[in-house]
Amino acid sequence: MLSRAASSLFWMARYLERAESQARLLDVSLTMALIDVPEDREEQLSVPLLVTGTKEAFDELYDDITPQNLIDFMMLDDRHPASVYNIIQSARDNALHVRGNLSADVWESINLSWLEMRELRKTGVTESNASQIFDWTRARSHIFRGAAYGTLLRTDAFHFLRLGTFIERADTTARVLDIRHEMASASVGEQATRSFFEWTALLHSLAAFEAYQQIYGPNILPLNVAELLILELNVPRSLHACLREIVALLEQIENGEARKARRLANSLFANIHYGDRDYIAERGLHEYLTDFLERIQGIAGQIQRDYMGWQI
Amino acid sequence: MLIQTPAEGLYDELFDPDRRVRPHYRTLEKWLIDSDEAMIADKRREADVLFQRLGITFNVYGQDEGTDRLIPFDLIPRVISASDWQKLQSGLRQRVNALNRFLHDIYHNFDIVKAGVIDAEQVFANPQYQPGMQNLKLPRNLYSHIAGIDLIRHNDGDFYVLEDNLRCPSGVSYMLENRRMMMRLFPELFASAPVAPVDHYPALLGETLRAASLKPNPTVVVLTPGRFNSAYFEHAFLARQMGVEIVEGADLFVRKNKVFMKTTVGPQQVDVIYRRIDDDFLDPLSGNPHSMLGVPGLYGAYRSGNVVLANAMGTGVADDKSIYPYVPDMIRFYLNEEPILKNVPTWQCRKPKDLKYVLEHLPELVVKEAQGAGGYGMLIGPRASKKELSHFTDLLKARPHHYIAQPTLSLSTCPTFVEQGIAPRHLDLRPFVLSGKKVQMVPGGLTRVALEEGSLVVNSSQGGGTKDTWVLEDDQC
Repeated sequence: MLSRAASSLFWMARYLERAESQARLLDVSLTMALIDVPEDREEQLSVPLLVTGTKEAFDELYDDITPQNLIDFMMLDDRHPASVYNIIQSARDNALHVRGNLSADVWESINLSWLEMRELRKTGVTESNASQIFDWTRARSHIFRGAAYGTLLRTDAFHFLRLGTFIERADTTARVLDIRHEMASASVGEQATRSFFEWTALLHSLAAFEAYQQIYGPNILPLNVAELLILELNVPRSLHACLREIVALLEQIENGEARKARRLANSLFANIHYGDRDYIAERGLHEYLTDFLERIQGIAGQIQRDYMGWQI
Repeated sequence: MLIQTPAEGLYDELFDPDRRVRPHYRTLEKWLIDSDEAMIADKRREADVLFQRLGITFNVYGQDEGTDRLIPFDLIPRVISASDWQKLQSGLRQRVNALNRFLHDIYHNFDIVKAGVIDAEQVFANPQYQPGMQNLKLPRNLYSHIAGIDLIRHNDGDFYVLEDNLRCPSGVSYMLENRRMMMRLFPELFASAPVAPVDHYPALLGETLRAASLKPNPTVVVLTPGRFNSAYFEHAFLARQMGVEIVEGADLFVRKNKVFMKTTVGPQQVDVIYRRIDDDFLDPLSGNPHSMLGVPGLYGAYRSGNVVLANAMGTGVADDKSIYPYVPDMIRFYLNEEPILKNVPTWQCRKPKDLKYVLEHLPELVVKEAQGAGGYGMLIGPRASKKELSHFTDLLKARPHHYIAQPTLSLSTCPTFVEQGIAPRHLDLRPFVLSGKKVQMVPGGLTRVALEEGSLVVNSSQGGGTKDTWVLEDDQC
């Protein structure tokens, strides 16, 4: 397939995954902020900004961190590229670029998301109806994935699209885990309840709360959470699960044998696959995740160099 | 609903001069009478939503908020009887054949010029003439693989060719999507009328493009200027339907006079390019040096015979309005046949006698630029203000070579949904003619309709709409 098309499919899927995780993050933070004591509220609200690396952009555009400002900034504001509004627009732009490689169902799902997003932006979102918008964002993402999974030919177009999804997902999981873990550990001494809520929030923002309950029971222990989100292959957003998909997809891509991306991905996969909780504990979660983030970004860059960049 | 009858003296597609319903419109007329306004209004809204969701939108140049606009779609189909279509089909085949023969001739032997049928100046001084195409051997001697011929029906009931589009005619996706929409909205209508199918057009187009190369199983691509082009939707639609790649200039490169596309598995050679980019932008090395749309070196590859362009370069000379008056002569000259389709009488302002007539009769005439397209820069005499008339008088005197004039033809009318109910509106027809191993077309075309009362301008860029076009498989229904 065309290198440009591969790139557009890859980014289209990354953007749509990003829209969903951003909505989840914001949803959880707003809910947690309600529970938090007033002095911690601001810290809680700033989590989505820290995870997405948009704190500076926010401070430039808004005076203080209020739920409404945060909703406006993260969902609707077209003045910075990281709002869900602009993310969906970018996804739609990429989709338009590869209209020829998409099924009618996939294209329509993305186009409709964009048309509805434009309407939402006109009507605006308030604190009281925000959860509907978060639900909407998640549902649109599910519809896209369903349409892609159910209607696309299993050619490289599909593989590059799915690669985008899992690269983005692994990246998000690692970032969210890192930041929440830092906040939870900071509050360990002071109050156990605060810490409990932090871990709960973390699990919720990665849609893994119920999974935790099933596997470990009601006691929330930091190392369990880390194990669940890093090593547990059956949790769809764990790093292990994402890497397994990435490796399998790279195996399927035509002419991939000699490409460097494949070696990097397999090496990172092996590292997680044969890792255990003690190793993570020994290394320290923050160091472990920092290293992971570097390597996953390395893989993303290598995929682009291997398949999408072109020097004649 | 009530159908408003057309004004005296106009040809209406549905009513004959005695206000009786023409036989091939009976099913449709009955359906219109039986349907109520609320249902139709619902269906119109449904169609709008569906078109938006499908992303069937186009951009209007010169209108900022016009990006992503829908072309208005009218729910009442335009019906063509089986016998009318038979005649149109043979006429179109004949005309396109002659035009391809003409293009081959003016780039090789110049027989038609030598025989004195057309002045040398008319051909060789035409800005659309590409001297670089001389003596280039093209497979099957084909130049315009895809032609869109604009027809209108005049008061006398006959079809006239208004314009030949031999470069990159667009609009075929509307023909296909309009039909799909009608079948979705009104399946019951199709059960009672023998409407000839059109959805095999992409298959025929694919066949035509593969036949444009003499290689077995050639690699075909669609070359688009990109997603900001007004017809991008159509380019992507056709590529998808044919199962070929849609590429932009930057996706291609030329090495050793061969064209390759940049794929995830390395370079892949391209044999046929269905290009939707004008000649001048195809190759910055030989055409417009500022073109970011084209492929450097493409022209060299083309001249070497390593890639086929559909349509060929240099076809514009044959669809130019200054060449148009000669098409009937071309048919006689190359095919030794009488033209089946009529041409609109045309005054060529470069001829002093014609210019004199045009200046004297300006308020009755339509004046067009010989090189123009899309309904821009034309004068419709009977509708023009005094100021416009005097402006055009100046233009004609200053640059007579740039203009041709034609009598104001009254385009036929067809019932159309408008704010006041169902009223007659003027329309034209653009069938798409494909030339490969043989000349083929699907029964139908794009019907464009002027939505303003009395307006004769059907161009979508000027606020025209479209209709589904039904060619009936037998005359009664």
